[in-house]
Amino acid sequence: MHDETVTVLENRKVNAKYFKISFRSKHLASGVEPGQFVQIKVREGWDPFLRRPFSYYRIRGERIEILYEILGRGSELLSKLTKGDRLQVMGPLGRGFSREIRGKKRILVGGGVGVPPLVFLAERYGCDRFYIGTKSRHEVMPLSEIRKFHSRVFHTTQDGSYGVRGLVTGPLEVWFKKDDFDPEAYFIQTCGPTRMMERVMEIASHFGVEGEASWEERMACGVGVCLGCMVWTHYGWTCSCTEGPVFQFEETPPRETWAVR
Amino acid sequence: MVDLTTKIGPLRFKNPVTVASGTFGVKDELKDFVDYQKLGAVITKTITLHPRPGNPMPRICETPAGMLNAIGLQNKGLFEFVENKIPYFRKNRIPLIVNIAGESTADFSRMARALDYHRKSITALELNLSCPNVEAGGVRAIREKKLIAKTIRAVRKNTRLFLFAKLSPELGDVLESVREAVRAGANGVSLINTVRGMAIDIRSRRPRIWAGTGGLSGPALRPIALRYVYEVKQAMPQVPVIASGGITTWEDAVEFLIAGADLVAVGTANFVNPRATMDILSGVRVFCQKEKIKSIRELRGSLVSYRRS
Repeated sequence: MHDETVTVLENRKVNAKYFKISFRSKHLASGVEPGQFVQIKVREGWDPFLRRPFSYYRIRGERIEILYEILGRGSELLSKLTKGDRLQVMGPLGRGFSREIRGKKRILVGGGVGVPPLVFLAERYGCDRFYIGTKSRHEVMPLSEIRKFHSRVFHTTQDGSYGVRGLVTGPLEVWFKKDDFDPEAYFIQTCGPTRMMERVMEIASHFGVEGEASWEERMACGVGVCLGCMVWTHYGWTCSCTEGPVFQFEETPPRETWAVR
Repeated sequence: MVDLTTKIGPLRFKNPVTVASGTFGVKDELKDFVDYQKLGAVITKTITLHPRPGNPMPRICETPAGMLNAIGLQNKGLFEFVENKIPYFRKNRIPLIVNIAGESTADFSRMARALDYHRKSITALELNLSCPNVEAGGVRAIREKKLIAKTIRAVRKNTRLFLFAKLSPELGDVLESVREAVRAGANGVSLINTVRGMAIDIRSRRPRIWAGTGGLSGPALRPIALRYVYEVKQAMPQVPVIASGGITTWEDAVEFLIAGADLVAVGTANFVNPRATMDILSGVRVFCQKEKIKSIRELRGSLVSYRRS
């Protein structure tokens, strides 16, 4: 874990929705696993007060790239930074996606801004199939980024402007229902909106496919002391910042049961 | 060289910098950033007799220059703490102040007795008499000062350890609470705990944290905390005070020392800057050097009034 001041190398809009920020850091770039994240203080001072978590998108040597969406004041302020600006960044944090998946084939299911860490994962360890869901074609990442994985990529958009119309879980379910589908042969790794991941877990459990999901919770410290970013697991409330954000499907019961204890 | 040594009764601290309960974990969670042996003392997250799962999510929410929290005293319970955490502090010779809370006076007594057995590894106890986020043992239960006194007396009977009572300004007259706490056997007080606040998501119209209200902490709280520390030290200079409430920079720490604080506890700042305690410690030292202050005692309670004496 390192906390250092970095210099912004570039920060620009890459499509209708996402921005990409990059900076260089030896410590923040070494030993990173896909699915891990950094905590960024978007500007000095006490407003906003807390840091914001962002997952790694790409690492090229010591250059780190993060793909993000403007979701609130923090990310909006981040998007205003320009080349040469200074930024306080802490990382790498959390436990990323599993590298070893018991010899199974990797299926990636990403939605919206959950796609970038999966692109990182595919780039690092390859994948057999990559399901990508977005709202429209304006948010689809450059295909050149994804084609090189030599895997089958399936796109869905909610407005039908690119790939299949509908939710990303649609084509996944269609495939699982095929007679020759062997649930034992595959392992799902998913990141995206909570509802999407819950649906993925539901389908996976129905067909008996193992997997893991990257959960996003409101976070303060990022290092396991504030106990703010908890995920309910079969062994109790667990810090998503230190024990997660990636959890095995079987570790986390359905979210609607979380408040009950 | 500046002498930062701080004496409180029989206790001797390397320096006045410590941490506010609940912002520093229960063991060495921040070891990548903090040299624990350099701290005046470590105050643990609240330990309860039995494990507590804590509140449902969401538990935290950012507010202007601060945050609200309602964690609900999640912890693994006293037994686990004694077994797995105390040995670490003893082995590394880190001054340890254990923060405890009970759901009843009996809980407090049992915990005090159990911890008294380990008193060689413990510097002091801090009694959480003011957690805003739990029904039993929290502000809602300890509304009456009588209950504070009863709890402290029960603990006092069961331990020889130095006792700090952590009080909330929500109890009303803080000066009276401090007097009551000291009369009941507390050796010092910790001021202040969070103050309850609220935030609403205007689209879902739900509170932004599950519990509805939560404790406000961070720089937004600082002027209020400073005022209480000052008033208590003015009225009762002999009562040791651990000050907390939005201490984020070394300048903040110096402010509290000038107001009379014996120890300064860094809280929510640890969430934003995990090195905050180290930065504050070196900042205070450099300030003293530059101001030609030889001992921190010269700084403590040195507020200059506008009024002529």
